[in-house]
Amino acid sequence: MSDDSLIIYEEEIERIDSLLTKLLKGAEAKCALLVDKDGHLITRQGFTHSLDTTALAALLAGSFASTKEIARLVGETEFSVLFHQGKKDHIHMSLVGERSILAVIFDDRTTIGMVRLYAKESSDELGKIFSCMRDHDRHGRPEVSADFAATAGDKLDDIFKD
Amino acid sequence: MVSINYATREVSCKVVYYGPGLSGKTTNLQYVHQKVPPSTKGKLISLATDADRTLYFDFLPINIGAINGFAAKFQLYTVPGQVYYNATRKLVLRGVDGLVFVADSQPDKMDENIESLNNLKENLAEYGYKLDELPIVIQYNKQDLPNVLRPDQLRPVLNPRGWPEFGASATLGTGVFDTLKCILKLVLDKSKTGGTTTSPQRQTVSAPQSAMVEHETARPAEPVHTEIGRSQPVSEPALEPEVTPAAAMASEQPPDLVREPCLPTADSTDDDLSGPEDAGAPMKPQPEYVCQRDSVPPTAGSVGQGQPVKYRPFPGNTRDDEEQMRRQRPRDDIWQSRTPRPFGERSVPTSTTPAGAGGDYREITSTGQPRMAPSLRADKPRKKRSFFKRLFGLK
Repeated sequence: MSDDSLIIYEEEIERIDSLLTKLLKGAEAKCALLVDKDGHLITRQGFTHSLDTTALAALLAGSFASTKEIARLVGETEFSVLFHQGKKDHIHMSLVGERSILAVIFDDRTTIGMVRLYAKESSDELGKIFSCMRDHDRHGRPEVSADFAATAGDKLDDIFKD
Repeated sequence: MVSINYATREVSCKVVYYGPGLSGKTTNLQYVHQKVPPSTKGKLISLATDADRTLYFDFLPINIGAINGFAAKFQLYTVPGQVYYNATRKLVLRGVDGLVFVADSQPDKMDENIESLNNLKENLAEYGYKLDELPIVIQYNKQDLPNVLRPDQLRPVLNPRGWPEFGASATLGTGVFDTLKCILKLVLDKSKTGGTTTSPQRQTVSAPQSAMVEHETARPAEPVHTEIGRSQPVSEPALEPEVTPAAAMASEQPPDLVREPCLPTADSTDDDLSGPEDAGAPMKPQPEYVCQRDSVPPTAGSVGQGQPVKYRPFPGNTRDDEEQMRRQRPRDDIWQSRTPRPFGERSVPTSTTPAGAGGDYREITSTGQPRMAPSLRADKPRKKRSFFKRLFGLK
C-alpha cells in the first residue's frame, strides 16, 4: 500500500478502544468517535447503534476542515477544540495528533467541563499511540492480498450494471 | 489516502467528483444512489443551498462487501463547482484517492471547464498532489443535449494527458456507472501498487445515442501541437466562449482560426506539467489548460508571448468581410493577452453577488486577503475655473 495510507492494526485499535471506554465512563458521555481528518471512521465506542457513523465521520471531518479555514482567516493555524451545543445532545470535538479528531457526544447528564477535562486527557494519550504507530516498523506485516483489486473489479462489474 | 483497518477488516477510499458549476456532479451521485442495491449504499448527504446548489459537498458511502476478508468501502464526494466556493472545494480534496472530472460538453462552457481544470491543479498542489500521480477519469457530461461537443472534439483541450474518458448523460444515467467503475478500479490498483498511476488504457465511450464502446490502445500523452496536426480542427463556433453575438460573427472567420490549448512558454513550464512517467516517449512539455486562438500553428515558444494576432485573408472574402474581421480585432487581442490567473482572483460581476450580501461583494483572493469589487464610478476630469472666478473666489 502507499506510504501515506492510514493502516491500523488490531492491537492499536484495542488500546484506543480501552482509552475511549475510560473516557466515556469518566465523563459520563454517550459515545465517542475517533475520525480521520479525511473523513474515515477509525473506531467508535458507546451507544452508536442508532447513529449513521459513516456519515457522521465525514461530516465531522468536514466541519473541522471548514473551521480550520476560518482559523486561518483570523490568523490562527487551526482550532484545536470545537463544541456544538444542541437542545439535548452536544458534541465536543478535539484534535488528536496531526491527522485525527476525537468527537464525544454527550447530553445533560454531564457537563461540558467534565467532557473537556477527560477529552483533553484522552487526546494526549491517543496522540502518544499515534506517534508510536507512525514510528512502528510496518515491515513483515500481512498486507491486503495481491488479488484484492482484481476480485473487487469483478464485484464492481456485478454491482454497477445499468 | 487509503485507510486500512485490520481490526474491522475494512479498506476505505475517497473519490471526489470535480468540475465546473452545473456540470452534473451531484446528478452523477444521485443516479448512483438511485440505481445501486440498497445493501450497497448509505445515505446520500447533500450540503446544499436553498436553490439546490452544492454549498460544501455531497457524500455517498458505497460498500461493495467483503473481498478476501476485507470490506471495500468507497466514499464518493462532490465539490461545489461555483467559482466563489473555492475555499470549501479545496477542503473536500483533502486525502483524495481518485478523481472524476465532470466536464460540461456544451460549447459555451468550455472556458469554465478549462478554468476548473486549472483550479484542480492548483488545489491539488496545495496538498502536495500532482495531476499525474492521482487516478483521474474524465467524463464528458450532457452528451444527450443537442449541439454539444463530441468527446473527440473535447479531448485535445481537456484531456491531453490521456486519462480514461467517458461520454455521459448523468440525467439519463448513460456512462455514469462506466465512469464510476473505472475510477474505483484505478483507485484499487493504485492502492495495491502504492506508486504513481501508470498511463491507463484510454477508453472512449461515444455519445449515448450510440451504445458503441470504443477501446483505443494505450498511447502516451502527446503535446497538443501533434494532436492538432493529427486531429480534425475543431470548428470555431463549437469552441466559442461567448454565447451570442460572437457565435454569429464566428461563422465569418477564416477556417484556420481555431482555438487550441497552447504549449507552455519557457517561463511558464513547471514540473507539474510533465507527462506520465511510463509514456514510453521522451519527456515532452504538457500543455497548460489555456484557451488561445492563433492563425498560425502553435509552436514551442511562439504562442502565449503576446505576439499580435495575424489574419490570413480567406479566398473569396469580400472587403466587407475583411472589415468585419478587423472590427473584431480588439476582442481577439484581449483573448490573446489572457494569461491563466489564480482561480480566486477572478473578479465576479456584482450581479452574481450571493443573496444576503447586500451588494457589498467581497472576494477572498487566493492570498487570503479580501478584495473589494472595483468601483464603477468613472473618474471625470474636473473642469477648471476661469481666471476671474479664481481671482475673486467665485464658484
